[in-house]
Amino acid sequence: MYRKILVGFDGSPGAQAALRHAIELARLFGAELWSLSVIEIPQWGTATIAEIDEQRRIVEQELSTLQEAAHQQATEFGVELHTVTRMGHPAQLLVQEAQRGAFDLLVIGHSGRSGVWGVFLGTTADKVVRHAPCSVLVVRW
Amino acid sequence: MANIWATAALWIGLAFLASIISIRLGLSVALVEILVGIVAGNTLGLQTDTWINALASFGAVVLTFLAGAEIEPEALRRHLKASLAIGFAGFLAPFLGATAFTRFVAGWSWPQAWIGGLALSTTSVAVVYAVMVETGLNETDIGKLILAACFVNDLGTVLALGLLFANYDLHLVVFVVVTAVTLFLLGRVTRFVIAAWGNRVSEPEVKFLLLVLFFLGWLATIAKSEAVLPAYLVGLAIAEIFTHHRPLMLRLRTLAFALLTPWYFLKAGLYVSLPALVSSIGLIVALLLVKMVTKLLGVGPLTLVFGLERRTSAYTTLLMSTGLTFGTISALFGLNNGIIDRTQYTALVTAVIASALVPTWIAQTWFLPRTEETPRAPADTAAPLPGVETELVAERATREDG
Repeated sequence: MYRKILVGFDGSPGAQAALRHAIELARLFGAELWSLSVIEIPQWGTATIAEIDEQRRIVEQELSTLQEAAHQQATEFGVELHTVTRMGHPAQLLVQEAQRGAFDLLVIGHSGRSGVWGVFLGTTADKVVRHAPCSVLVVRW
Repeated sequence: MANIWATAALWIGLAFLASIISIRLGLSVALVEILVGIVAGNTLGLQTDTWINALASFGAVVLTFLAGAEIEPEALRRHLKASLAIGFAGFLAPFLGATAFTRFVAGWSWPQAWIGGLALSTTSVAVVYAVMVETGLNETDIGKLILAACFVNDLGTVLALGLLFANYDLHLVVFVVVTAVTLFLLGRVTRFVIAAWGNRVSEPEVKFLLLVLFFLGWLATIAKSEAVLPAYLVGLAIAEIFTHHRPLMLRLRTLAFALLTPWYFLKAGLYVSLPALVSSIGLIVALLLVKMVTKLLGVGPLTLVFGLERRTSAYTTLLMSTGLTFGTISALFGLNNGIIDRTQYTALVTAVIASALVPTWIAQTWFLPRTEETPRAPADTAAPLPGVETELVAERATREDG
């Protein structure tokens, strides 16, 4: 049913739940499994270049550790996980990569790191569901 | 006089709270400190004192110095003409537009209108830098050009602030001559100080740079100019040295953000009156629109001329309409020197704060560039997504060729 699955992974509890579902589905259908992590550069009212560099460095280090753990988790279930990191806007990149990579399922957590702003501006999940070119599984946790 | 320790504890407590909120919300600490200052000023009745004013002034000067030092000197040299053209237009269009608007529509006096024009002429280098990093443009010539133009834009604001209200007498001549000589010698002398006495616990190189900033600040103020003017120029002059001495810059940054800038930003928020904000809401919206429209008219066409794709041009230009630090510095200069009143200060600072948020929101909602060129982060060690590698390689090659 599913040949290529893309999971949005930012390390949040929602993303961890999405990853578990994605691994299980990939194992069940023998599908190829990819994870996409997005480094979001803060632009809201940023006052110094140092703040941006600092944020980028923190997220890069954090994601690198989390992706390694995710890779191990998938391996334990006999699934190979391909991890990719990009910079930009999570919703836009998830939709774009799902389209360009011809994925047939996108798995995302119901609430990731949109946090307080998500309440006002909409979460990544809202936007992905609205624009994705393939089926989307939104995992509640 | 209130107990100095109680006052200090309260202010630093607010600064600590602002830091936590800024991390939690992903907003700049400067912005949150201003907002906390507004709340504290209007609810706790927070007051300034002579020593608080001194610390706040040091904060503004060191912050301006660090802002100037963030420039990439090589990029400025390589794109001198283009960055001067875009940066000058980015300063002049909103300066003239906002000055005209506040003078002829809002009915402010000429000096007040100049302060209005200056406060709204700035751009946020940091916001533009964030966009450049995100789209990968920071590694390209056009990205470096736009960033250099942002520095030129703010240099225009700082120069105008320092020269519009100065007394044109002997003091100004002394200030200009001494500043020029200092800037000429600064690189060599600083290198000598670092080589001879650098990296000691007593931090002689930090004290030397503070000496330069405070001495030129003194000369600036006796000429009725602004201490941030020489500070920005000193930052630009020292930027090359900071690229080779990152720890020195980091130590100065720690000093500034922990001990000095909180006083400045909290104080900037303190004078914003909530009743005045409510009564001036129409003016605030108008000022923000004037800033955005004039910035678009001034910068937009030039970014197209210098090679930005149309959508990226709109996005970048909108983000060049942002501003915070130099906007509040200009407004506070006007208030401290009795040029503008508290209601006008409130309108300007609120418009400046709005300009730190609204253009970004508009840009991200309607003008987000397609991210085909988004580079993979250095942390990425895995293979790219299937079907994407060929395009990425092609795009990278195009960028390198260009």
